[in-house]
Amino acid sequence: MSSLPSPKAPPSPDWSRLVGDSLRQNGVWHTFLKLMEAAKAYPNDLSLRGYIEIVRNAIVRDFVAHPKGMQAVPKLSAEFLTNFDRFNLNAQEGYLVSLIDGRFDLQKLLILSPFDTFTTLFTLAKLTYERAITVPQ
Amino acid sequence: MNKMAIALVDRLSTPIAVITETGLIEYRNTAFQQAFGDDASHWLKDASRALAGERGWLQGFFVDAEEEHKTLDVEIEGRVYRVDRIMMIAREESRAAALSFDDVTAQREMEQAKSDFTSMVVHDLRGPLSGIQGTLEFVLSQEGTRLDAMYTDLLNEAQRESERMMGLINELLDFSKIESGNFVVEKEPVRVAGVLKRAVRSLQTVAARDEIFLVSAHGRDVPMIIGSVEKLTQAVINLVSNSLKFTPKKGMISVGAQVVRNGDVPEAIVVTVTDSGMGIKADELAQIWEKYKQSGNKSLRGGGGTGLGLYIVKQIVEAHGGEISVASIEGVGTSMVLRLPVKRTATASGGWTAIQDR
Repeated sequence: MSSLPSPKAPPSPDWSRLVGDSLRQNGVWHTFLKLMEAAKAYPNDLSLRGYIEIVRNAIVRDFVAHPKGMQAVPKLSAEFLTNFDRFNLNAQEGYLVSLIDGRFDLQKLLILSPFDTFTTLFTLAKLTYERAITVPQ
Repeated sequence: MNKMAIALVDRLSTPIAVITETGLIEYRNTAFQQAFGDDASHWLKDASRALAGERGWLQGFFVDAEEEHKTLDVEIEGRVYRVDRIMMIAREESRAAALSFDDVTAQREMEQAKSDFTSMVVHDLRGPLSGIQGTLEFVLSQEGTRLDAMYTDLLNEAQRESERMMGLINELLDFSKIESGNFVVEKEPVRVAGVLKRAVRSLQTVAARDEIFLVSAHGRDVPMIIGSVEKLTQAVINLVSNSLKFTPKKGMISVGAQVVRNGDVPEAIVVTVTDSGMGIKADELAQIWEKYKQSGNKSLRGGGGTGLGLYIVKQIVEAHGGEISVASIEGVGTSMVLRLPVKRTATASGGWTAIQDR
């Protein structure tokens, strides 16, 4: 009995060049969102996971490079307070938003957060990017 | 074979023979006759036999007949030969393979001697070095001792260098075990989250000293795997240490774990060690797992390594049935990715269960 050959995954693109170019031209968030789309098309591509992590790492590093560092105090944005429905927060984001009271700095938020340090910082960076929160200079 | 080809093969110094699946010699060159004489038919009988589900080594050449090349190291009458299948000869009535026999006994003995020597030297070096480390640790931990700042700095430097030397010695020890085939991975349930935490904790001081933000990033639902806590911790420590060498001040290193699921079923854990270092050149990426390979980029922390760290990581991951990959963008960072399979056990109801990390 003959069997059909299993469908082969498409060959992986040159992620290093693509991601490098995208970072230079479109910035970290655009690149991150594109990579998340690519991950659906290449679910078994291990190196793609690595490129996603490199971009996530860059996002968190930029976020903590705030002049006030871990003493920066995030606040809910006016847009979030007046137009809450526009933000489609997931459970993790919702929980972190509930901790933001305009007094706790990043250091305290990391202590209060039930999530690991990196996830907490990445989620706060995402909330900042989506303008749900602001981190005043 | 035509006459010219036969004459040519006959003059080669490497023993070559065409042997059937059942162990009959259809052709042998002079070198084969000189090496094995008429005894060959005797050991070929054993080599072609399949006993109690176990195949003789000759059968191995006929199992994967479609593979272009196949090489096996086999023991024949007290000597080790590297047997290489040069070509398959498929006919209607039977199959035969043209095999060359390269005597590698001396090479094997030399490798074993080298490995034994490395093992001995490494063990002999570890003892006194542990003593030096213990002494330095004791002196530096004495509260209330008034040491001149200059001496404290020098002692700290001595401690750092002794740690580095211990790392190099341990790498050599592992390498010697891998090369001699004695690299054994114990099979026990392993909390991957615990492995990551331990690795991060052990290098936190070094990272803080170099002003690098070292964080772990893993969810709470990371299942356990079957493997060796010690070896996996060592693999993650090797990767983080490597990242520390190439990440500038104010940089970031994250150590994460994600679960890969097929529906609800956890299939694997993907561990990533990602840094914001200088990255690796595209043409060097494929070779970084090879032994003695060092990055073309210069370490920011000084002091070279053995070039064995990443090679050892690859051996550890493969010993766990996993795979390894790397992603890098020059000037942005590098991420080392390990995929470790989750051990599943069948349940009485015919379902599955993964060992959960609680």
